[in-house]
Amino acid sequence: MNLLSFAVKNLQRRKGRTLLTIAGVAIAVAILFSLLSFSAGYERELTREMDSLGFHLLAVPKGCPYEATTLILHGGVIPKYLTNEDLARARATDGVAIAAPMLLQQVTKDGTPHIVYGIEPAVMLPLKPAWKVNGRFFSANETRVMVIGSTLAEKENLAAGSVIPFGPAQEQFTIIGVLQPTGSEDDNFHFLPLADAQRTFGKVGLITAIAVRADDVKHIPRIAEDLEKVPDIQVVTMAQVTGTIMNLVGSARSLLFSVIVIAIVISAAGITNTLLMSVNERTREIGMMKAIGASGHHIGILLIAETLLITTLGGIIGILAALAGSGIIETFVRELIPYAPSGSFVSFDPLLIGGCLLFSIGLGLLCGIYPAWKSARLSPMEAIRGEWE
Amino acid sequence: MSIIEATGICKTYQRGREDVCALRGVNLTIEAGEFVTIVGPSGAGKTALLNILGCLDTPSCGTLAIDGVPVTGKGEAELVKIRREHIGFVFQQFFLIPTLTVGENVGLPLIFSGSPYDRQKIESLLEKVGLSHRAEHFPGQLSGGEMQRVAIARALVNNPRILLADEPTGNLDSITADGIYRLFEELHRQGITVIVVTHNRELAQRAGRVITIRDGLVNGGC
Repeated sequence: MNLLSFAVKNLQRRKGRTLLTIAGVAIAVAILFSLLSFSAGYERELTREMDSLGFHLLAVPKGCPYEATTLILHGGVIPKYLTNEDLARARATDGVAIAAPMLLQQVTKDGTPHIVYGIEPAVMLPLKPAWKVNGRFFSANETRVMVIGSTLAEKENLAAGSVIPFGPAQEQFTIIGVLQPTGSEDDNFHFLPLADAQRTFGKVGLITAIAVRADDVKHIPRIAEDLEKVPDIQVVTMAQVTGTIMNLVGSARSLLFSVIVIAIVISAAGITNTLLMSVNERTREIGMMKAIGASGHHIGILLIAETLLITTLGGIIGILAALAGSGIIETFVRELIPYAPSGSFVSFDPLLIGGCLLFSIGLGLLCGIYPAWKSARLSPMEAIRGEWE
Repeated sequence: MSIIEATGICKTYQRGREDVCALRGVNLTIEAGEFVTIVGPSGAGKTALLNILGCLDTPSCGTLAIDGVPVTGKGEAELVKIRREHIGFVFQQFFLIPTLTVGENVGLPLIFSGSPYDRQKIESLLEKVGLSHRAEHFPGQLSGGEMQRVAIARALVNNPRILLADEPTGNLDSITADGIYRLFEELHRQGITVIVVTHNRELAQRAGRVITIRDGLVNGGC
């Protein structure tokens, strides 16, 4: 037997109370861990999603910056259009590596809106190196063919070879390929050859947006400036989009962090109270221990050890619970924040796990120090008489 | 040589705004290996004296030497060391830890003294107090007399030369109390200085010397 196993046995005396205190710590640490983990995961996923778009800026018709942002994030329809002339000017702009025209349309099937992208495979595919297709991709001059995202294929029970009625005229379209899952919004879209999309929806010669990739990221601001000189064009850069989202998320995040702080303060007060109660109950016993040779130092260490056992165990349980319940918590967090990237936020970041454990230990030291100090300086005689308050 | 030498010990407590004088100049010498009982009516200062002799409390005036070494004026850290090395305590309420086995309760002082956790020593002490078959039991499974025997074994684990007992039979019936006194007599025969505070004059007579304390003064037996 040693001081540590003695501390463990002391904790077993009031099992219910010990377990409740551990649960309190576990809840606080679980909230802390989840929110920190989500906060890091959110930025990571958002950046990843922006990168997976494959382009640096988007040229849209003037007057629609918000619609354009939506369009980038979820796909959407802008009631104004650019022309082939705008496309030509974009392509001629210095520093533009790729300028990919897109026509976006929306069709409604069984009450659900579907987003349709008309694209040029020759310029679009280099922007999306991650795209892998089951079946084949179309060439620019094919008609009545489409490639669809994996989520969409699953939802609608479609595969390469399926034939579906599509568009305002309900023409028979053949699905020639299904994209393998990309983890981005692309998984929900219909992709058609641009010219055929323009024909199908009656928008010949019209473009919704031009996705632009710079030959070097350093050139993005200058390209944006040059493109803005075209009278019809407004430019939205990915950095602007990310910044806007992070601003929106910021307020939700400060709310979440105040929840953490409150949970931790409540938990800390609970631990300190439990310890003070246990010191008060054991006053006479502490006096006895001093009589049989314990120094104030021993008593202090014993109390601190009991606290650390509670908070460290609570911390471990909290982290495990947060990892196990991350799905539920993520759903909750997703509802709270204005825009959620599609990837999972949860990560097994060892640094964060270590940090949360250190936090639990720190919490134990902080909460244990006063009760420990109070019991360490007990006069043995007064303690045995039970006259100490 | 005297193992305890107290000269002019007085002790004043503050109770509310009043000063209560528990001891008023006690002179007391106890020789090594003596079996002494301290008797007196309630409030006479018995426990106050025992606490001072056991270095649990410091006197308001006077001097005390344990084994020839003066202890008055020493700090708590040094007093802990003296208690640990020289004195074993037994209390009326036993103060056993309910979640430790009998054996672990006996070994508890070893944790504090930094001595190795010597199972053989614990076993032999339990045998000495007649409880070797109870080593793995918990205090809740024991009778009052057995619990006090465990407390006595615990008091002896650091090999003290002095055993101080404060009303050790106060919670026990007369037959059990007799057994505890027989144990004290046995320890006395083995050379340990046994000092017992008690209300019970009949049991007190079994000691070699009975010290009566009244109104904070020792009369007779000094």
